[in-house]
Amino acid sequence: MPQSIRTSTSAGAVVFAPLDGSGRAELVERRLTDAIVLGLLADGERLPSESDMAKRLGVATVTAREALESLRLKGLVETRRGRDGGSFVTAGRDRTRAVLDARVGSLSRVELRDMGAYYSAIAGSCAELAADRATDDDLERVRGIALVTDDDETAARRRQGMFQLEIAALSQSARLVREELRLQAEFAPLLWLWLREPEYRRRSLDARGAVLDAIAGGDAAGARDRTASHVAGAIDWLLETKAELEERA
Amino acid sequence: MSVRIESDAVSVVDTTFEDVFALIDRWRESIEDFVASSPVDVAAIDALVETLVVPDLSRDGALIIGAGFVAQPGFIPDAPWHLAWWLGHANTFGWTGPAAPSLRRLVAVEDEHAESFRDYTTLEWWRVPSTTGQRHITGPYVDYLCTDDYTLTSTVPAYQDGRMIGVVGADLYVNDIERALLPAVRGAGRRAALVNASGRVVVASDSSRPTGSLIRRENWTQHDRVVPCANGLALLIDD
Repeated sequence: MPQSIRTSTSAGAVVFAPLDGSGRAELVERRLTDAIVLGLLADGERLPSESDMAKRLGVATVTAREALESLRLKGLVETRRGRDGGSFVTAGRDRTRAVLDARVGSLSRVELRDMGAYYSAIAGSCAELAADRATDDDLERVRGIALVTDDDETAARRRQGMFQLEIAALSQSARLVREELRLQAEFAPLLWLWLREPEYRRRSLDARGAVLDAIAGGDAAGARDRTASHVAGAIDWLLETKAELEERA
Repeated sequence: MSVRIESDAVSVVDTTFEDVFALIDRWRESIEDFVASSPVDVAAIDALVETLVVPDLSRDGALIIGAGFVAQPGFIPDAPWHLAWWLGHANTFGWTGPAAPSLRRLVAVEDEHAESFRDYTTLEWWRVPSTTGQRHITGPYVDYLCTDDYTLTSTVPAYQDGRMIGVVGADLYVNDIERALLPAVRGAGRRAALVNASGRVVVASDSSRPTGSLIRRENWTQHDRVVPCANGLALLIDD
């Protein structure tokens, strides 16, 4: 019930959900990096202790320590000693930008397109179902959340994430909502990278309005198509940015 | 004949929710009695609500998967925004451990200056009962912040000297409600749907009206019979 007051949150729960597979230290590092870049873990926020984090992620303490060491080297985390010590997020804009640029550089064009295709399938289906299932009250609430101009990147990212999550909730599908949350944790830092530019923050704002208009009109195909073209636009921008970064390098 | 079958279905639906509201009313009365006679602070409220809801959440076969008291902003002097809310064993929300979930307190961000904070008084489960003074059923809805699943939330307002001090409520999984009510809804007709006040389908006997789909109120008259149930619910039946 309490949708209110964000619990220590769904997004937070995803951040520290157990990991499986090999290369666990890299996976831990990657997940925490994403959470920091996305603002799920805020600048200055204290991370759980190594042993606590290891327990929650289902990895060995030494693995958590290794991941934290890499984050320290990247300058995303700082460890202080003493009674009020611990590991704290130090997410300056320049640092997170450098981390993201490196990520864009490391992924192939095929991987980036594939990320867009998959995200588009999920988010598009959510919007399509929402068009049949949203009440006027639902829409009014989501408009209040989605149709606000943001002056900074972090706020814009958070709003875009909230919007997609609300649309997923309007689909009335618990699985789609959980998948949306999972994909946000996995893709959102890159997918919505264009929100660092004011021009594209406006474009995303317009796109959210267009999706909501289609949902309000009960236009399921329109809601899906507008969602898909919003995602496609963001991916095209990402590929162009990747090309520019590669030219500069 | 159909009238009797309909009334059987209505009585199963009403009894199921009445059982939930009877629990909530009992908790509400205890909370109202407590605040009428004792000084209010966050520790006292938490201790009281815990002793009220935990036994009912732990009962074998309990339908409720979350329950508690959400305070009127400013009512508890040392906690301006406060949720005293517990999650039952069956509630998997945020649970990442290897074993089955245990009964636990919901951890909420109550600092109104935190970025993740949201004003709960704008949400349906608060807004409607606080306006009407009546019981209200919110949902079915995907509660991504508290149960992670498809949920129904039942709430009632609590008062002190005519002034609202918060809402008392409980969450149910729609899965469990489907199991509990489907036989009765089937009994009401091969094309029968139990809907909430907005027309959202809770359970239906025919697969063309999936749970969560919407039969908008303006279209209710197109159905052969609209049979009102308690708490704003209705059965829409086609012959």
